[in-house]
Amino acid sequence: MSQNAAIETNELSKTFKDRTGPVHAVRGVDLCVLPGEIFGFLGPNGAGKSTTLRMLTTLLPIDGGEAYVAGVDVARRPDAVRRRIGFVGQAGGADLPATGWENLILQGQLYGASREGAVKRATELVELLDLTEFADRKAATYSGGQRRRLEIALGIMHRPEVLFLDEPTTGLDPQNRANLWQHLRELRAQGTTIFLTTHYLEEADALADRVAIIDHGRIVAEGSPHTLKQQLAGDSVILKPRSGVIPLDVLFHELCGQQYVRDGYIEDDAIRLYVANGTGTLPHIFELLKQRNVEIETISLSEPSLDDVFLQTTGRSQRDAGHSQPEDVAA
Amino acid sequence: MRLIHDTRLLFWRKLLEALRSPAWIVIGISTPLLYLALFMTLLDRLAGSPGFASGDVIDVFVPGILCLMAFGSGTGAGWIVISELESGVLERLRVTPTNRFALLMGAVLRDVVMMIVPALAVIAVVIPFGYDPHLLGILALLALLCLITAATSAISNALGLSLREIGTLAAIVTGVNLPLTLLSGVLLPMSLAPQWMRALAHLNPLYYAVEASRDLAAGTIGSSTVGQGFIVMIGLTGVVLWWCTRVYQKAVA
Repeated sequence: MSQNAAIETNELSKTFKDRTGPVHAVRGVDLCVLPGEIFGFLGPNGAGKSTTLRMLTTLLPIDGGEAYVAGVDVARRPDAVRRRIGFVGQAGGADLPATGWENLILQGQLYGASREGAVKRATELVELLDLTEFADRKAATYSGGQRRRLEIALGIMHRPEVLFLDEPTTGLDPQNRANLWQHLRELRAQGTTIFLTTHYLEEADALADRVAIIDHGRIVAEGSPHTLKQQLAGDSVILKPRSGVIPLDVLFHELCGQQYVRDGYIEDDAIRLYVANGTGTLPHIFELLKQRNVEIETISLSEPSLDDVFLQTTGRSQRDAGHSQPEDVAA
Repeated sequence: MRLIHDTRLLFWRKLLEALRSPAWIVIGISTPLLYLALFMTLLDRLAGSPGFASGDVIDVFVPGILCLMAFGSGTGAGWIVISELESGVLERLRVTPTNRFALLMGAVLRDVVMMIVPALAVIAVVIPFGYDPHLLGILALLALLCLITAATSAISNALGLSLREIGTLAAIVTGVNLPLTLLSGVLLPMSLAPQWMRALAHLNPLYYAVEASRDLAAGTIGSSTVGQGFIVMIGLTGVVLWWCTRVYQKAVA
C-alpha cells in the first residue's frame, strides 16, 4: 500500500445474501485516490457505487480485500477512519428539529471538540457556506440548497482529510448546484480530498480531476475525464440521412466497417459514430455517402462527453437509467 | 469517559427535540390523569372485592397506571428512529466516532425523563384522594419505572432500526401491546384471573414489575415480590441494551 494515497482499495468486495442466493455487489475493486483530488465515482444504479462508498465510510463491513482511507485500514480500525473522514449521505443527515447552529455544534463536540472550539468552527463554516441568515432557524425550515449546504458544513466540521459525498447535488436546481460545485472546489484548494458519487455526468466532468466507472461490481474505466473521453469515446459524428435511399441499418453497417470508425449505434433515425479524429474523418464519410448516393439531412460533429464514455463502458446510457436530463441528440 | 460525554450530548439533543413538541408533553401528562379520572372512578365500587382485598382501590390502581405509563413512554422510540433513518441523521452519526451505546442511550434516557415528570404528577394528584405515599417506596418505584421505560424504549429503538418501516413497526407494537399489558395485571390485578391466565402472566416480565410496583406503592420495600420485580427488570434491561447496541453497531442504515 502506498503511503500517500488518500483512498486505496485492493480487491475490495462485498456479497449480500438474497433469497435467490448470494449477490456479488462489489467484486474486486481497486481504487487509488490521491490527496487533494476530487474523485468522481460513476455507475448505473445497482452497479456497486453506494456499496463501495458504504464500505469505505465504515457503514458496511468489508467482505473481501482491503481498503485504506487516509492511510488507515478500514476493516481493522474503523474508529480511526471515522475521525479522519467526513460523510454526507444521500438522505442528507441534518437533524431537522434542531437549528443549524445546534446541528453544527453537536457534530463538532461528537468529534471531540470543546464547546468553544465547536462554536468557533461553526461560525467559520456558517460564513463559508452562506448560512448566516438562517443558522438559528430549525433545519426543517430550510430550502433544499440551504439544507445541503448545512449538511456539507456538518461533513467538514472536524476538518476531515477525506470527504465522501453521495450524490451531493441530486434534487438541487442548476444555480444551487453550481454554487455547491464552487464550494467543493474551494475545499479542494484547501487540501481536502473529495470522493463523490454522482448521477450527473456533466457534474463529474466539471468537477472531478479523475473518475472511475463501476459496472456489475467492477471498475470498467478509470482516468481523468479528458483522457477517458479521448481514449474510450473519441469524437462523435451524428448524421441523419434523407429517408428512403438506403435502409438505415445497411448504411450503418457499411459505415461501421470503415477503419476510421471505432464504434457507433443507431439513435432513432440518425446514426452516431465514434471516431478518433472528427475533423479528419468527416471528408471520408462525405466521400462514402457520395459514392452510395446518400443525401443527408443533417450532420454534426461533437466532442465526446462523459455520457459517451459511460455508454461505451457500461453499454447503458446514463439517460436510460433515468437520472439525467434527456438531450436533443440529432442536431 | 467518551461514553458519558457522548451520552450527555445526545441525551440533550433528544430532550430538546422532545421539549419542542409541546403536544406530546400535554398528552404525556393528560393521558394518565384521564385514566385516573375516567377509569378509577368506575373501580370505586369494587373496593373490598377479591382483587382489592388489601384496601383502597387507589393502592391497586395507581401503581398499575404508573407501570402502564412507563411502558407506553418507551414504545414510541421506534417511530423516531425510523424518521431519523429516513432523514439520514442516524447514518451521519454512525460515521462519526460516537460511541454506539451512547447513540442508543441518548434516546432511552430521553424517554425515561419524559416518563418521570408525568409520573410524579400522577402521584401528586392522587395524594389528596387518599393515597398515602412512602418516600422510600416511591423512590424505589420510580427506579423500577425507569427500568421498564428503558427496556421498552431500547426494544422499540432496535425494532425500528431493524424493520425500517413505520407500518410494520406499528403492527408489531400494537399487536404486542395489548396482551403484554393485560397479562401483567396493569388495569385489574392478576389475582382476579383464572389459573391458566396467571400461568401465562408469569412469562411476562411486565407482570413482575407490576406486582413489585404495588408492593412499593404500599411501602413494602423488602418483600420477595419486589426483589423478583427488580431482578427481572434489571436482567431484561441489561440484555435488551446489549442487544440494541449490537443492532446499532451493525445496522446498515
